Parts: sequence; structure tokens; C-alpha cells
Amino acid sequence: MSMMSTNRLILLLFLLFVIEGSVMPWIIPADYAGKIIPHFSFVFVLYAALYSGRHRALMFGLGIGLIQDIVYYGHLLGVHTFMMGLIGYIAGLLFDRRRSTLLTCLSVIGFACIAYDSAVYFIYSLFRLTEESYAFALLDHILPSLFLQLAFALVIYVPVRKLYEQDAKLNQDQDEE
Amino acid sequence: MIELFKLFRNKRMFMLMFGFILFIVVIGFSLSDRKELSMPEKFIGDSVGFVQQWFYVPAASIAGFFEDIGKLRTIYEENEYLRLTAAAYARDKIGYNFLQEENERLQKELNFTEQQKKINKYNYRIAHVIAIDNNPYSKTLEINLGSLNGIKQDMAVTTIDGIIGIVSQVRPNTATVMPITELDDKSPTSNAIAATILGKSDSFGMVTSYDDETERLIMTRIGENDKMIVDDLVVTSGSDSVYPRGLVIGTVETKEVGNFGLTYTASIKMAANLNQLKEVFVVEVSASEDAGK
Repeated sequence: MSMMSTNRLILLLFLLFVIEGSVMPWIIPADYAGKIIPHFSFVFVLYAALYSGRHRALMFGLGIGLIQDIVYYGHLLGVHTFMMGLIGYIAGLLFDRRRSTLLTCLSVIGFACIAYDSAVYFIYSLFRLTEESYAFALLDHILPSLFLQLAFALVIYVPVRKLYEQDAKLNQDQDEE
Repeated sequence: MIELFKLFRNKRMFMLMFGFILFIVVIGFSLSDRKELSMPEKFIGDSVGFVQQWFYVPAASIAGFFEDIGKLRTIYEENEYLRLTAAAYARDKIGYNFLQEENERLQKELNFTEQQKKINKYNYRIAHVIAIDNNPYSKTLEINLGSLNGIKQDMAVTTIDGIIGIVSQVRPNTATVMPITELDDKSPTSNAIAATILGKSDSFGMVTSYDDETERLIMTRIGENDKMIVDDLVVTSGSDSVYPRGLVIGTVETKEVGNFGLTYTASIKMAANLNQLKEVFVVEVSASEDAGK
């Protein structure tokens, strides 16, 4: 039973990833393309960290990061894999045993998204693959995308939390048997 | 030193370090100039691409529908304009046919080899975009043609308006396109585009990089006596081995003395728009196919 529900979560994560690359470019106005960048699957990984535990967040982060790296292979492999896994795990380590409220949840997601985007920026600038200054990157796309991520997190908060708590309950029942 | 070992006895710390080393190795590996993707990469890329096209195509058509409604008012003017262009095309076509015939006759008389004749014959393959990654540091597109359809690495990709990029990775059923906005003269893997001006074939410059902050392409190494002026149309010259001849790049926006004072540098406004692409054309050069055999 619990396997079923985990599969459902993985399917949802993958669906979010596909929407990010194939539907969002048509929804975001053309003037803002490249400035507002959706990280829906990463938000979902952070929900896993908050409501389902750090190990699942690590697995989800590594998995979807790897798919992102391979499908959109531009210059580097492994950046998204490592960063999504690591940040998901750290978020889980700090917050997974607590009952997070909406406000904590949104602030964790906000900070994690800034940390993730900044880390990706610093890796690319370390290898001289971008010439932008950090201040420019921050104002050009990191902060504008943050608003999209927060709005998305707010929209899916109730259903996703229910989904994860259902899953956690099923896991617990199975452990007791 | 002993404390360091204690630190490593912590499983979590050990895993982090191990992961970090693995990460550096993978990055180093991916930075090298790779000719072909490995099996798992091809498999994952193709399977995800297969799902992505179910989403991209409907989303594009729905968005296109709303765009069409918005454009209803201007459709009459557009029609008028297209009729004029069609008339001009019909007139030019007659002249073109004569020139083409003349050209072929001269090539025969001058004993051109088969390869020389084919070098400027291109085959445009239409491909559908299936996903866009807007990662600001490595923007890429996915298209639904792959090595099974004859797509190879380093083929140029254009839209109706102009060149947009180059095929960077090929999988059996999908391929990754790296846009020309990723051009960078400091990057070891990026190729500069040899460019010239339409109608002024003496002009020459290299399109070497793209400025993210001004959103313009940078063309360098323009000669001192070059007759290039602002608003000239920049096209590929074909003298590098990668980009075929005559693809539109953009228009010259400014021209100024370069860093060392010996050559000029121009900034170019791209002709093609990279946002919300539906169909792109992969340019197949028939000569390179023969060279491959």
C-alpha cells in the first residue's frame, strides 16, 4: 500500500518536471522568459523534506536533479543533482521532525530556492561559464523566480501536505505491523 | 589530525565528502569535449523527451490559439503585405532560375568536383521543439529529431527569421540544441561563427560571444577598412567548418573600436527570437555527409 503511494509521489514529481520545461515556457510571458525560471520539482523535493523526512528528500532531489542534468545537458553534468540532493537533505535535517506551519514552510522554501539558485550561479561562474556578476544574477532572475516558486508552493501547500501525511501514516502503520 | 579522523567516523560527513568528490569528478568529465553521449544518458533523455512532447505540443497550440485571436485585427494588413511579398518572390524566382542555370554551367566548365558543387546545397529538416530549459547559464532546447533521423552533432539550427544555435548532443530520437546566446570566447567548447555582411562579401568578423546584460551578440575582429555600417544584415560566411553559408544572424547595432585599437567590434541584434519556439529547421549540409562516408 505504501509502495503505491510512493509511486504516486514519484509520478507527481516527474509530472512537475515535465510541466516545468514543456508547459511553463508558454505560460510565462515572452518578455520574462529567462528571468522567471520555474523550479517546481525542487519545491516538491522541499515539501518531501518538510513532511516526509530527509532521506526521501535526498532521493527525490538526486533523482530529479539527475534527470534535469541529463535531459538539458548544456555545459555541465551533475550540478542540479548535487545541489537538489544536498539542499533537500539539509532542509530535511533541520525541519523534518517538526510540525511546520505554512509560514515556516514558505520561508524554508524561499531560502532554499535562493540558496539553490546562488549555488548554481557560483558553480557556473567558478568554471567561467558565465560572466554575469552576482548582483546582476540576483536581480535578473534569482529574485524574480523566487516569487514564482513561492506562489507555486502556496498553491500546492494543502494538497501536497495531505498527500505526504497520508504517505507517512501508511508507512507508520506498516512499521507497526 | 586525530580530530579529522573523528570527523570522518561520522557517517554523514563521510557521505558528504564522498558525494562532493563524485560531484567534482562528474563536472570535470562533463567539461571535456564529448563526442557522443553514453547509453544511460541516451535512454533517459529519449524517454523523458517522449513524455515531454505530449505536453509541449498541446500547450503550444493552445497558446497559439489565443495569440491568433489577439491578432485577428491585424490579419488584413498582414495579408496585404504577404501578397506584395509573394509578387516580389515570383519576380525574383525567374531571375534566380536563370542565374542558377548559368552558375551550374560555369561550374561544369570549370570542372568543379562533386564535393565542391554540393558544398552550398542545404537540406532543411523541420523539427518540433519539445522542451526548453531556461537555466540562465546554459540555456538549451530539446527537439524531436535524433540520430535515427540523420541528425549529427554540430549541425546548425535556424528558424524562419535566422540562426538560433547548434546541435550539441544527439540521442536516437531527440537532440539538444545549444542556442547562440551561449557563445562565449572564454569557454573552451564554444565555436565562434565566421560572419559577413549580406551584399558586402568583403566584410568579415567573428561572432564570438553574447552579452547577457545587453542581450546582444558581440562580433569582433572586424577589419579597419571594413565597409560595414549600422543596420547591415549579418549572415554566416561559411568559412568556419561548422556553420553553413548564408544563414541570417542579425543586424548591426553599433560599431566601435575594439580593445586593442586595431580592429573593430560590433554589437548585433539577433534576428531570431528564442522564446516560445514551435518549429525549428536543422540545416543538413549534403557535402559534410559525403565527407563523413
